[in-house]
Amino acid sequence: MVPVARRMLFTDRRRAVLGVVGVAIALVMVLALDGIFAGTTRQVSRYIDTSPADVFVSQEGVRTIHMAISAIPARVVDRVSKVRGVAWAEPVLFASDALRAAAGRRASYVIGYQPGGRGGPQTLVEGRPPETGEMVIDDSVARALDINVGDEVEVLGRSWRVSGLTTGMTSIVNTSVYVTFDDLAQTLGSRDVASYILIGTGADPQSVADRVAVIPGVEAQTRPRFSAEERTVVKEMSTDLLSLMSLAALLVGLAVIGLVLYATIISRLRDIGVMKAIGLGRLGLTRFVLAQALWTIGTALPLAVAVTFGIGAVVAALAPDIDLVVESASLLRAGAGAVLVGAIGVISPLIKVWRVDPATVFRRAS
Amino acid sequence: MLGRVPVARRMMTAQPTRLVVSLLGVGAAIGLVLLLQGLWNGQLEQITAYQDEVGADLFVAQPGTESILGDRSAVPLATLEQITAIPGVQRADPVHIHYTVLDLHGEKEFVLLVGSDPGGLGGPWQLSSGRTASSPNDAVLDRTFADEHDLDVGSEFQMGGRDFRTVGLSEGTRSWMTSLLFVTAETARDMTGSAGVATYLLVQTDQPGTVASEIRTRTGLDPLLPATLAENDREVLAGIMEGPVLLMIGITFAVAALVVALTVYSGVVERLREYGIVKAMGAGSWVIVQLVLGQTILLAIAGSGLGYLMYLGGAWLVALARPQFWFLLEWRDVLVLASAAIGMALVAAIIPARHLGRLEPATVYRGW
Repeated sequence: MVPVARRMLFTDRRRAVLGVVGVAIALVMVLALDGIFAGTTRQVSRYIDTSPADVFVSQEGVRTIHMAISAIPARVVDRVSKVRGVAWAEPVLFASDALRAAAGRRASYVIGYQPGGRGGPQTLVEGRPPETGEMVIDDSVARALDINVGDEVEVLGRSWRVSGLTTGMTSIVNTSVYVTFDDLAQTLGSRDVASYILIGTGADPQSVADRVAVIPGVEAQTRPRFSAEERTVVKEMSTDLLSLMSLAALLVGLAVIGLVLYATIISRLRDIGVMKAIGLGRLGLTRFVLAQALWTIGTALPLAVAVTFGIGAVVAALAPDIDLVVESASLLRAGAGAVLVGAIGVISPLIKVWRVDPATVFRRAS
Repeated sequence: MLGRVPVARRMMTAQPTRLVVSLLGVGAAIGLVLLLQGLWNGQLEQITAYQDEVGADLFVAQPGTESILGDRSAVPLATLEQITAIPGVQRADPVHIHYTVLDLHGEKEFVLLVGSDPGGLGGPWQLSSGRTASSPNDAVLDRTFADEHDLDVGSEFQMGGRDFRTVGLSEGTRSWMTSLLFVTAETARDMTGSAGVATYLLVQTDQPGTVASEIRTRTGLDPLLPATLAENDREVLAGIMEGPVLLMIGITFAVAALVVALTVYSGVVERLREYGIVKAMGAGSWVIVQLVLGQTILLAIAGSGLGYLMYLGGAWLVALARPQFWFLLEWRDVLVLASAAIGMALVAAIIPARHLGRLEPATVYRGW
């Protein structure tokens, strides 16, 4: 079987390239904006996602960190430790405030953890963990606010010395800073209270969470569940704007794809008319036109993905705070949407082809 | 002959389908950039609606406070008397501002609870129906927020374990991040356990400079102009969101420029034969270049106009579906984008136009 549609499409290279580039440009926009939204949404649960804890315990009714106040009596930690399947349990204290430096400020989660414990920074790219009066901050905020290890910053109305830098803990919403549990407790004036309890499990996290949740006054969620709740809350309050922008780009991008494919087929009406003149029926013509549209999209999609990854690499180098993540769901959505609007876009020229008198194609060019 | 016959226009309108497709492509691309820019401008404007509209000339805050979004302020209520006694102060009232969670039909909604004294500064500045909160269980909701949750004047709901009755609906009191919910100052103090302190003291005066200085001296508190507070809040918001948003707008702008360029280039390439015929009829290279550039400018201008109409349509649709999103577009934004579109179109047209200038007329009869 001769692949006539593909051969005819790529024989006229200039038109083929224009069609493919037009579709690819629109797809790049769709993928890049969706990628920025996905990357931003992922960032907001970074503390949870990178934690070694399998289960997070909070005050009953509190299911997130963002915009939440959770207080659990310290004695609950001992009780949690004795639950079957709990390998380790550690309390963390949490507060939110702005991290202030001479060059500016940034909204922050202030996390108080036990020295040497698992609630602190998972990596240190410079310096050492905090001691009394010290804190670890994220390297991208340090760059943005021109803070170096050893500098003084202000958080929660007092001064702290930066002892080290961690990485990857700054999101669109805020950054995370780490201090010792006792230091934060003293600063907040809280006694015998934890905000959350982190649990490592030696068994199925969900069953451990279910057993912990029986303790009165607490809520226990597995890491994926806690992370999803956090992303939902932040999405409602912060990333909804990006979601709307991404949706607008998807709709306009698909419209542009439809228009490009429409124009591509219209510019080839003469060729298609020739196919009709030599005996191709309606079904054959439909297949022919759809095959050309699919070939255009199929060639444009990998090109668009490659360009989007390129943009992601440039963004990562120039603005490390911003993540551009191309998710498979996004690819599927863009690809399926392109095929759908492509099919819609070629309907009108197809009807024109069905109606055209084959003889006319020899009289004038398109 | 070329001087009298509008060749550029006729060539464009000879194939109306192609013209419409080109205009729609250019318009959609430009419309999207305008939509995103208008959306971002709108959020920056909307986020400071409280500071801009509440009617206070000074926000007296805890020292070190710079913004509502980024700082926590607590000022002793005891200082209210000292401030009221300052010459030039027409009125001073406490306001309590705290985030809280509202449980509506099992769905959690974060709202910014605003507690103010009945008849005092700090309450809603525009009511579409009902009245302001005057008793402990009264609440005023933003109209769009209430609509979204099927609430109206008279509806009851729970917040923080207390029962509330909706007594009024306010206008312009919602941002995409959260909605303002107005209660009495006493209720806010009870709910947040902040007896003896307010978040801010709002002051009305004709002499903000002098009064601010006196407040600072007498109380040690920090009086902020609403414009300063609003600017700081915009900075906080920009610090949080600006990176990804501007990157999105930048990518969209680049794509729009490429769509414009591609549309113009395709249009010229598709008409190579027609240009060749015009040249074969005696037109010089410069006439051909003028013809191409004329068509390009017409397309870019008409596409920009269509893009603006598409922006208006898109903004209207978003306002219907998601009223918490505001749009604000300045003419400068439109002009910058239209100029960029025309510039990009001209750049894209010059490449094939130069080729046309060198075109051998006889070749057009060989086909393209």
